[in-house]
Formats: sequence, structure tokens, C-alpha cells
Amino acid sequence: MSGQTLFEKYGGFSKVSKIVLAFYDTLLDSDEIGPFFDEVDMTKMVDHQTKFIASLLGGPAAYTDKQLHQLHRHLDIQTPHFDELKIILRNTLSEHGVEPDDVELVLQEFENRRGQIVREINVD
Amino acid sequence: MSIEAINEQLLRAIGVGVALLDRSSLGFHFCNDTFEEWFGAQIGTNTLPDVFEGLDAEALDTSLNDSGRYTAEFKHRKKRRTMVIAVDFTAADEGDQKLVVLVCQNITRIRELESMIDSYSMMVERNTREIKREKEQVEKLLLNIMPRSVYEEFKAFGVVTPQLYDPVSVLMLDFVGFTDMVASADPSVTVTELNDIYSAFDRIGEQFGCERIKTIGDAYITVAGLPDPMPDHAKAVANTAIRFIRYLERRNTSHPHKWHCRIGLASGAVVGSVVGIQKYVYDIFGPAVNLATRLQEFSEPMQISVQDEVSVSLREEFEIDSLGERDIRGFSKQEVWRLHDSKKDMAPKQPK
Repeated sequence: MSGQTLFEKYGGFSKVSKIVLAFYDTLLDSDEIGPFFDEVDMTKMVDHQTKFIASLLGGPAAYTDKQLHQLHRHLDIQTPHFDELKIILRNTLSEHGVEPDDVELVLQEFENRRGQIVREINVD
Repeated sequence: MSIEAINEQLLRAIGVGVALLDRSSLGFHFCNDTFEEWFGAQIGTNTLPDVFEGLDAEALDTSLNDSGRYTAEFKHRKKRRTMVIAVDFTAADEGDQKLVVLVCQNITRIRELESMIDSYSMMVERNTREIKREKEQVEKLLLNIMPRSVYEEFKAFGVVTPQLYDPVSVLMLDFVGFTDMVASADPSVTVTELNDIYSAFDRIGEQFGCERIKTIGDAYITVAGLPDPMPDHAKAVANTAIRFIRYLERRNTSHPHKWHCRIGLASGAVVGSVVGIQKYVYDIFGPAVNLATRLQEFSEPMQISVQDEVSVSLREEFEIDSLGERDIRGFSKQEVWRLHDSKKDMAPKQPK
């Protein structure tokens, strides 16, 4: 990505905020992912999703791999969860007019962080 | 369909939660579809405190008695979603029956948006702070390589017009045997010491109103009379030169590395400008700079050579003696003078 970030390309915060809210709604309604947020306070949840989408689109948030690892360490996130979230993310972005090439770009960014999020399966 | 029936249907269908309660028991007489959907209330089975967790029944009662109204905000967990509901109670009487009308607005979206704006503005504010810090760093760096007035011009117009400064005095200092020193000692130690010395020179120069222009390895150039004109520019560089040597002598008594310098002083005109497009360097050009460099070469270690013209301004206050006429490369034959530290009263003047 040179010059303009996707965050800027898709209209900055005023447009991205709609993606965030749609993503947030879908997550809460999902029976796969939703339970991870059962005990999470609304404010925190919104904050989390805002930063998540903003950082994936190159907006004003950035997490280092180490931070991501720390933030997700206490959760039992398995491969199917991560895959499900990827599908939700793909659908949400597509529904909000993000071009297919850009969706793939964002999903690749997301995929790059899989290692920090998914709990490694202990092989006995 | 009767008017009452239509009214009831409307009441059931609207997106606002509506309920009618018994004043004393807080049991439900009626609740519309929206209310049921949100709170799962059932007429006859539960009462208000059952469905509104954290309801302050006492406050409700008091407020209804006093003003006939009560408003509050509730957080209500529906599945894993937190609903934020603004509730409004109004006391009503129907014949003998004491009733309470309850209206609930779903303000979840508003609260969610508020949270998102909070989250976003915190990110942006943090970034703004970082940008500000970076800007200050850049400014500091640029101020290191050019005088402030030049920097201000650069900032305002994006370019710096070359400017003639006349007259100014140039002090050129060069260390004796620096190359050998770098070769014989640990270069990083040498550079660290050089940095200390240059920092001290900067402070000394500042006291007399000198502006350090640049350092090239072991050569240090500072100027008086730039960017603001100064009547005593020759005396300023003379005072600075004497203190540079005092500083080095003092330093040499307590450090293993002995630093010896040669200094040349010359007056004249210089042109100051930023040179380069990508890599900015503020530099000065002119005969005074070249002459100071040549004169420096005439100095014995820890001595100061002075141009004839400068010596005229120094004669009254400083101790100087003539070295006679000398041939100077690129200049006409002229008398060169030596400046001595008379250790007389030469207290630093206040910087202007």
C-alpha cells in the first residue's frame, strides 16, 4: 500500500464506522464467535472492534504481534473460530462496498496474524 | 376495527417499549410487543423488579410521589448484547386504580456509537501527540544545522534566500594531530570526547553571541554578527577563541587525551544559505571563511592568529603582537597578529 491507506480510500472514519458497527453486530449474533464476548463489557467490545478494523485498514491504530499475542493469550481460540471470523470479515467488507482486491488484501493482513491469535494445539 | 383496537395495535407495534403497571405491586397490566421482546415480561407472572435488574424501587416510589415522574437508564443483558434502555415512569390514575405508565427507549446504538467515537478519538489523539513529538524532533534537528531566523524563513516559504552578512567575524578552529589521535586511540572514545568539546564550544560561543555554523570532522567554525548584525563581532570571536583555549587547557589537566588546537580569526563579508535539496546544510561562503582557515594554519598549537583588520578592533582591549607580514595563499601579503590571553577582566557579556 503506497500513499493512501484503505482507511482513507474508503472514506475515513465516517464510512469505516459503519463497517465497524456491522461487524460488531454480526459477531455478537454469531454462535461460533459470540460466546467469546459473553462477559465482555459493551464499551470494551466496541473499542476492540474499532481498533481491529482501523488497524486492518491502515487507520490510526496499530498492534504489534506481541500485543496481539498478549491480548488473546487467555482465550481458547481454535482454528475454526479464526476461520469463522475471517468469513464474517469477508462478508462485512464486501457488503460495505470494499472492492474484492482490497478485501483479499485485508484478509491477507488478518491471516498474517493467525499465529498470534490461535492457540497452538498441544501434541501429547 | 374500533378506534380502541387500532390504538392498541399501534401501541403494540411501535419500536418503543410500553407497559402499564400497578402502582403498589409493580405488576404488569399491559406491555406491548417490543417490551416483551426486550425484557421477556409476562403479564400476571412477573413484576417490574423481576425484569429490571438494579431498579431502585424506593427512588421510583419517592419520585412518583413528589413529581409524578421518574427517569433512569438501565443496562439490560439480552443474550450477550448489552442493551441500554432509557426508562420514563409517569404516575396515572384510572378511577380508583393507581397506575404507572412506563415508556422505554432503546438507546443502545447511541451508546455504542459514543463508545466508538471515544475509542477512535483516543487513537487519533494519541497519534496527534506522536506527530507533534516528531515535529518537535525535526525542528530541533533543523535548528542544529541552521540559525532560527533561517529556519523560520525555510518553514514559511520552503526555500531560503542566500543572504549577505557584512561585516561578520569568523572563528576557525582545527585540532592538532587529530588524525593520529583517531588512529592511536579508540575512535569511539575520541568522537565522544570531540562531542563533549564541541558542546562546550557551543555553550561558550553562545555566551558571546556566536552562531556555530558547522563542524567538519575536527574543524569547528563559528561566526559573530550572523544572522543579526553585531557591532562587536571581532571582540566576540576573540573572547570566544580565548575561552576555547582556556577550556581545553583546563580539560587537558584532568583527561588522558590532550587536545591542542589552532585558531584563526578573520572579518569580512559572508553569504549564508541552505545548500542542497535533499540533504540540507546551512553553510556560509566568503573570503572571511577562507582567510580564517588560512590564518589558523599560522597558529602554533593553542594559539590564535588574527587578521590585521580584526587586530584593529582588538587593540584596545586585548593583548596582541605582530607576527609580521605573511604570504597567505589566495590573499595578498598582509600582516598577521597573535592574540594572547591576558587574563585581564574579560567577564562574559550577557548574550544579546
